[in-house]
Amino acid sequence: MPWSYLSAWAMIARAVDIAGTGMTRTEASREAVLLEALVSLADTLVADFDVVDLLASLADRCVEVFDVAAAGLMLVGPDGALRVMASSSEAMRILELFELQSEEGPCPDCYLSGKVVTHPDLASTASPWPRFSAEALAAGFRSVQALPMRLRGSVIGALNLFHTGTGEMVSADIAAAQALADVATIAILQHRAALEAQAVNSQLQHALNSRIVIEQAKGMVAERRQISTQEAFSALRTYARSQNLRLADVAQAVVEGSPSAPPWARLPRRG
Amino acid sequence: MNGTAERRARILVMLARAGHPVQTKSLCRVSAEVTGATGAGIMLMSGNTPGGSLCTTNEMSDVIEQLQYALGEGPCVDAYQQDTPVLEADLANARTRRWPAFSPPALRAGVAAVFGFPLHIGATRLGALNLCRDSAGSLDQQQYADALVMADIVAESILIFQSKAGPGGEVAAELEEAADFHWVVHQASGMVAAQLGIGIGHALARLRGYAFANERLLADVAKDVVARRLRLSADEMGGT
Repeated sequence: MPWSYLSAWAMIARAVDIAGTGMTRTEASREAVLLEALVSLADTLVADFDVVDLLASLADRCVEVFDVAAAGLMLVGPDGALRVMASSSEAMRILELFELQSEEGPCPDCYLSGKVVTHPDLASTASPWPRFSAEALAAGFRSVQALPMRLRGSVIGALNLFHTGTGEMVSADIAAAQALADVATIAILQHRAALEAQAVNSQLQHALNSRIVIEQAKGMVAERRQISTQEAFSALRTYARSQNLRLADVAQAVVEGSPSAPPWARLPRRG
Repeated sequence: MNGTAERRARILVMLARAGHPVQTKSLCRVSAEVTGATGAGIMLMSGNTPGGSLCTTNEMSDVIEQLQYALGEGPCVDAYQQDTPVLEADLANARTRRWPAFSPPALRAGVAAVFGFPLHIGATRLGALNLCRDSAGSLDQQQYADALVMADIVAESILIFQSKAGPGGEVAAELEEAADFHWVVHQASGMVAAQLGIGIGHALARLRGYAFANERLLADVAKDVVARRLRLSADEMGGT
């Protein structure tokens, strides 16, 4: 799996640092809301939670904290297409703006590049998304940002922010919004991982058991051949390779005294 | 905002700052730190018996893990089997004498209080987090609540680490890094089984019996067997 808790910890620490840098009144309130958002997101790590609910609250928080007119999240489905998962507004015009992005818009560009996509004035002639821009302007929006929901190499979707005014977002706000998107990404990936907990635990137990049998076989061979446990290990490994067998299976045969064990590892005939 | 979420966020920040990448050692260290314990250890269970220790913070916590491994009883074993926290705030004056073999050597090692918290994610049970103290006394409410959250984080982390293991069915390198899976005990079992012509289970029982009768750590006895400094004899508790 291309992700881990390590990133979750690092990102939460980073987000807390970002939140702690603001000193103005606006930034202080942003800090408070951001911290609260982080805490509620941290609580969803692995615990049972509703992904759609988490994303909806993230969209609402963005509107609240970053002074944007609307926010929405799109996640990529198993078929590779982006779907709107949550929006701060259920207004038809806004939902349609997301629908449209299955074809063109800032979210697909952001998802494909894994980078922040920003357009400071949709009314300018240079818009890369003519249909999207026309619809967005008709809905009353002038500028947009899309931030990637990503962890290391994998991008799972994008956070879309809409503004009624023109211009860029300040970089501190972009960093804070990205931190929220990052933690939400981790929460989603953790949730997927929790579903696999049982499978991973069985795998771990199996790995431990195979290893125990290998150590036991090493001891047996070391004693029967009067060699060191290291030499016994080499002998078992060489045998497994030459016979194209799994080391764990060879070890099991030795421990059980099965006829399929290497001849030199079997109990000497008494007689 | 609820208390558990705040605790979780606070502990995750502590772990993030304990070093990157996070290691099992940081999990142990932060466990001891947030709960005001003298030492902490993480025990993995294998079936119903101790399988190995992922890390310990000091000698006291190491002895606790070793004793439970050798004896098959103690706070972690109970916490795992009962799937509930096990608290012994005053081991020397315990109200219930629940660990007759574990308690005397633990007390000799300076353990005054010992606590076990189960490691589980839903129905998936992994082992137990062990906390100990060199003076008697209960965990206060905050420490107890932190220990529960910490145990969740430890359980999740173990699976996250293991989920990164290679396809060959190995134990993840991150888990093995600071761990003691008692491999030498299994090597010694194999040797004793070969020496005495007995089964592996029986050989392990003989090693355990010898260690207990001679008041030695199972690991030390096993090391002597593997180094051929000790050979168990065919008659019951003997050895030369």
